[in-house]
Amino acid sequence: MRNRVGTFLFAALAGVALSSALPAQTGQQGGSAKPAAASAPAPEHDLSGVWNMHAPPAQRRFFGNTYTAEPPEMTPWGTEKYNAAKPSNGPRTHSLKETDDPVLRQCLPPGTPRIYLQPFPFQIVRTPKEIVMIFEYDHTVRQIFMDGRPHPEDITASYMGHSIGKWDGDTLVVDTVGFNEKTWLDRDGHPHSDQLHVVERFHRLDRDNMTMDLTMEDPKALAKPWKSTLYFQLKPDWDIMELACTDNGAFEDFEK
Amino acid sequence: MKITRVRFLALSLGLLTLAAGAYAHHGSANYETDKSITVKGVATGFDFVNPHVQIFWEAKDDAGTVQKWQGELTSPNRLTRVGWTKSTIKSGDTITISGYPTKSGAREIWIQKVVMGSGEELPTGGGN
Repeated sequence: MRNRVGTFLFAALAGVALSSALPAQTGQQGGSAKPAAASAPAPEHDLSGVWNMHAPPAQRRFFGNTYTAEPPEMTPWGTEKYNAAKPSNGPRTHSLKETDDPVLRQCLPPGTPRIYLQPFPFQIVRTPKEIVMIFEYDHTVRQIFMDGRPHPEDITASYMGHSIGKWDGDTLVVDTVGFNEKTWLDRDGHPHSDQLHVVERFHRLDRDNMTMDLTMEDPKALAKPWKSTLYFQLKPDWDIMELACTDNGAFEDFEK
Repeated sequence: MKITRVRFLALSLGLLTLAAGAYAHHGSANYETDKSITVKGVATGFDFVNPHVQIFWEAKDDAGTVQKWQGELTSPNRLTRVGWTKSTIKSGDTITISGYPTKSGAREIWIQKVVMGSGEELPTGGGN
């Protein structure tokens, strides 16, 4: 009994420290998350490890579904597609049987950056020529080529896009283009076109905390760039587990 | 029981006070997320599988008739990270389940709270 009380107190104090140390964020780009307790310095140019999204309190209302409290400014094309979408998550919720969310019914790869909104961790692995991101959600994989190559001239469209990265000081800048139009930008049903251009700026503050400044540009879908900041915590004790989207099929009849 | 040695990080201080649906693989369309229901009964089934862990139990209604209930939690991946295993609930266990009721009136709950017969509350939000 004493162990459990002590354990709960520890957890409670850790919770206080964590939630009070993270500054209120509106989801706009800029600002930095301060780590809760003493961590260790970030290893240089090394984002390796298992990471989990940890939205600061001000973002938690919407971070299950989208990137900012305010909706993005969309073009007429984008607005029409958004209005027609039938998401399951977010405020315009539809049941599993009615939704047309390409991830939920068809198990299509979620695309970039939506993969971050699937509430499961990811692992960053470094190899000599690329950084590999292994997402627990449906074992989705991104390759970020670090060997200086440009995007291909005649690019073949893909769900996750073609990603190239380079270090700018201590910030990893990842540039992704070459998307097909089969994915959503988020879980609310905001659309993108094949002109989507995603830039991610990763900064590892210390061993345990990483931010990513996200910019989405799409002249066909977005009237202006859509920006946010994502916050990640290192989970040294977690392994990436299996989660197969196809199992959704067996669950469809559960909800009455 | 293994679950008692888990650090209940998931329970502390509203770290899991989230908008309904924020950590579900799908949304809340089937449920009344501004209402709450609590049902105490005896477990008859426990499926520790993706996409959602499912609990099945029986409880007597006001007339004393035994009714079948079912409920869904988050992914077993998330629950594993706060100490659950596929043996955490066994058939015959007394459980008190609280959460959001269905819009349809079906005996089904989107589970937010699980309390075992011992009084122990299990974390339901999953690792975060």
